[in-house]
Amino acid sequence: MGSNIKIRFKIILYLLVVILIVIILRLYFMQIMSGELYAEMASEGITREKTVAAPRGNIYDRNGKLIVKSVPVTAVAAEPHIVLENEDEMEALSDCLNMSYQDIKEKLEKSNVSYINRVILKQDIDTSVIIYLAENSNKFPGVEIIDVYLRGYNFDSLASHLLGYTVEIDEDRLRSKKYEEGYEGGDQIGITGLEEAYESILKGKKGRIVYEVNPLGMPVDILKETSPTRGNDLYLTIDIDLQRVVEEILYRSIEEVRQKKDKDTDECYRVPGGAVVVLDPKTGEVLAMVSYPTFNPELFVGGISQTDWDNLNDSESHGPLHNRAIMSFPPGSAFKIVTAYGGLAEDIVNEGRKVNCTGTWLGLGEDFPKYCWKSHGSLNIEGAIKESCNYFFYQVGYKLFMKLNNAEELLQKYARIFGFGSETGIDIPYEDKGLVGDKEWKKDYFKGQPGYSAWFPGDTVNMAIGQGDLQVTPLQMAQAFSILTNRGIEYSPYIVKDIRDTEGNLFPGSLGEEYKDLKLNEYFIEIIEDGLVQVVGPGGTAAGAFRNFPLDRIPVAGKTGTAEIEGRQDYGWFASYAPVDSPEYVVVVMLEEAGSGGSSAAPIAEKIYRYIFNID
Amino acid sequence: MMKRRKKSFSDFESLDKKKRRVKFDFILFFLVIVISSFGVLIIYSATRETLPGGVTDPQYYLKRQAIWLAAGIVICAAVQFINYRKIQRYWWLILFIGVFSLAAVFIFGYEVHGSKSWIDLKFFTIQPSEFSKIFMVISLAAVMSKWKGEKVYRVTFKKVAISSVIALVFILLVLLEPDYGTALVYFIVYIGLLFLSGANFLYLLSALGLTAGGFFIALKSGLIKQYQLDRILVFLKPEVSSEGAGYNLYQSKLAIGSGGFLGKGLFLGKQTNLNYIPEHHTDFIFSVIGEELGFLGAVMVLLVLVVIVWRCFYIVSNSSDSFAMLLSSGIGFIILSQVVINIGMTIGIMPIIGIPLPFLSSGGSSLVSLFLGIGLVENVYIWKEVRKDYEIAYQELK
Repeated sequence: MGSNIKIRFKIILYLLVVILIVIILRLYFMQIMSGELYAEMASEGITREKTVAAPRGNIYDRNGKLIVKSVPVTAVAAEPHIVLENEDEMEALSDCLNMSYQDIKEKLEKSNVSYINRVILKQDIDTSVIIYLAENSNKFPGVEIIDVYLRGYNFDSLASHLLGYTVEIDEDRLRSKKYEEGYEGGDQIGITGLEEAYESILKGKKGRIVYEVNPLGMPVDILKETSPTRGNDLYLTIDIDLQRVVEEILYRSIEEVRQKKDKDTDECYRVPGGAVVVLDPKTGEVLAMVSYPTFNPELFVGGISQTDWDNLNDSESHGPLHNRAIMSFPPGSAFKIVTAYGGLAEDIVNEGRKVNCTGTWLGLGEDFPKYCWKSHGSLNIEGAIKESCNYFFYQVGYKLFMKLNNAEELLQKYARIFGFGSETGIDIPYEDKGLVGDKEWKKDYFKGQPGYSAWFPGDTVNMAIGQGDLQVTPLQMAQAFSILTNRGIEYSPYIVKDIRDTEGNLFPGSLGEEYKDLKLNEYFIEIIEDGLVQVVGPGGTAAGAFRNFPLDRIPVAGKTGTAEIEGRQDYGWFASYAPVDSPEYVVVVMLEEAGSGGSSAAPIAEKIYRYIFNID
Repeated sequence: MMKRRKKSFSDFESLDKKKRRVKFDFILFFLVIVISSFGVLIIYSATRETLPGGVTDPQYYLKRQAIWLAAGIVICAAVQFINYRKIQRYWWLILFIGVFSLAAVFIFGYEVHGSKSWIDLKFFTIQPSEFSKIFMVISLAAVMSKWKGEKVYRVTFKKVAISSVIALVFILLVLLEPDYGTALVYFIVYIGLLFLSGANFLYLLSALGLTAGGFFIALKSGLIKQYQLDRILVFLKPEVSSEGAGYNLYQSKLAIGSGGFLGKGLFLGKQTNLNYIPEHHTDFIFSVIGEELGFLGAVMVLLVLVVIVWRCFYIVSNSSDSFAMLLSSGIGFIILSQVVINIGMTIGIMPIIGIPLPFLSSGGSSLVSLFLGIGLVENVYIWKEVRKDYEIAYQELK
């Protein structure tokens, strides 16, 4: 063998060493220097995550009666971007879910494909269909069977405005900041009422399953599983039995009022809506809150049908989804307690000072006559409240305006002290803050119309009897009356008394018994109260309604209101509390287009007191 | 002197049996058994969960590979009873068998992954292109060993041309299957043998140049499609691609990289068990090793393979017998080229070419043919050592 060959063997040996070094360096780079990065990429590639729905918390009344519960339901969910591309699959789904192809397509397309990755096609599926889908899962890519929790209502439509309802979350909401974290397509979310206000407390915590998939995307192994945590339960201040009775009384009475005719026009009262609020004035607890017309939250369970939705929103239905207890209306004479207090506080009137009502008040001049509904003759403040004399309160309102040339807008000031013009802060959403008109408001409202934008004395005079630029919610009225009962202490009304978590720990509701001392004059309030007591007595505006009520046993104080609205029948109000010596209940009734408060609203309050105080 | 020694050597077999001393390269044999047994284990790890090919028995590939290993050892032992000199004498017969078996594929063969490289023998299937590597090495070693004694620079063009014709016949037959990866191995083995035969570098360069030219023409004429080239060269793209042509490489790199220093443990490779690595019991078995046994395991395997290759060369590096030297080195080149291409492919420094990793990839033809090759290397060693003994005895006798 020549030395030449020996050199060539040496070259091969060197080659071997070079190869060895190159491969080892490469392995070193991949496994040791970048090992963690590759491990991360690898596990990202094979793990998937899905959530398990958590049952929503229950809602109980103040006595622990279950009102709303969570009902587990099996649902078929689909990933739009996968299923939409597969026409055969949609055909097959249409067959086995008994839905039209078009329905499926629309459902998937409606929820913007780029954003929502899970849409519930159908809920409450038969077992046979579930088995079929599970066995043929390879034929249905992007389709999964999931558990969802829907709402079950033990008292049908009772308290529906308070409770609100739940719906499947939609695209716009998913994009919004509020639902940024923890929500995905197919989730149920609370809409209006307590369901919306306490969404974060009720919703619970979803379970999570982290699992591995094979290259075809089929799950093969579960890595981590956390079970869902049920949402917290709400315990309300509402007494569901009282709520039911109040609803029944309201609905029945509305039917009765509709039989009556308006004497001026000879037309039956239409009464398209009404509301009742029953409060415990000592705490601000809402015991019952009713709005008419109502809706059945059951309609929303599993998705409301288009027909039902259209019906609810038809103008003929008069907005059954609206909670009239927190919507604002002109209050009429029920507002006179504010004017009365303002007059007393500003020393415009006192207990004894009398005014002679001639039926026509000419304080604004001969050209602007203001009429009282009756010629009352001479009466003091108590009598003016008892008989709801407009002449008297025109006078008080005018003097409040004239004091310091309305520099302080005194009537508005006292209206605001009694809580009008701002939200009560009750723990349900969409509360109307109402309106207490003033110079600034009017200037803004009639912007560009210089002739109208000034606040005139007539504006204050109108407001003094609860007309004009004044809007009040029944709840605000109830709060104003509880301020009277508490002699100036204001409690914010609230609905959730307690929150109980899954372990049974109890937390107080969000507002629980916070109060504010308004520093009112107790003596003035007592004068007003004397007038209010006379309202239900002989000769008072609500005398008829309380004719047979045992006022000696349960003294009631109240104020009627009859608000006139251009082009509509009168709105009737009755705001009251009882027993007068130690008030336990504030009851406010408001009826739209129902005639005078004394004849339409007061009888409803009377019936409610009869139930509450167990009077036959 | 020369003549007498030669003559005396041919009388060797009549030598007294007592004087024969068994000489055997235990290092080589031991490492080969270790690495193949390890191969059986890692194949089991790669297949027990994923059950490739739709088998139902988790131990299917384990048992099969174990049987092939046993068959390989038997063949390796059987080869020892034939003096390699006899093999040298009948090289033309072996050349014929090699060429014939490759040609037989076109008549009896069936297709796997688009190449017609398998023959079904009822009880098992064989891949003639694996065995023919050995046959080509024997043929070329026999032809080239005749150049012995001539000065390196005097090896004539004619003689080199004859050797290249033999190699070309093998390579073309494999290319026609088509099995480009295996053809590349044949080509490298030929160049390696030409290198060690002592042929002028000019011949080497011209062989490489001609091949490059041929490849260029094949590409231009459309014989090799651009997409095929793209697939092969996907490793050159620096960005990690998880789709299309890059999928296999991407998954292989994830598996090996995620193995880290110590690996995830035997049987515990996630990428392996969940079937993310394609062909993980055959071409990508090194990815399984990298994932489950980490840097340490991969380097150990690599070292063992390199030592095996080195033994094949080392045994004959001082040999005066040209045929023995070329035969053993040829087997070394077979193993070396496959190790480099296969491992290089799984770690992204070589093109994606489907060839098995010697001793480790699942498959009988590859394993048994390698044992045949190792048998020949040992054969060379034994008979060479025995000849040394004889020479000593002869000297003593004198």
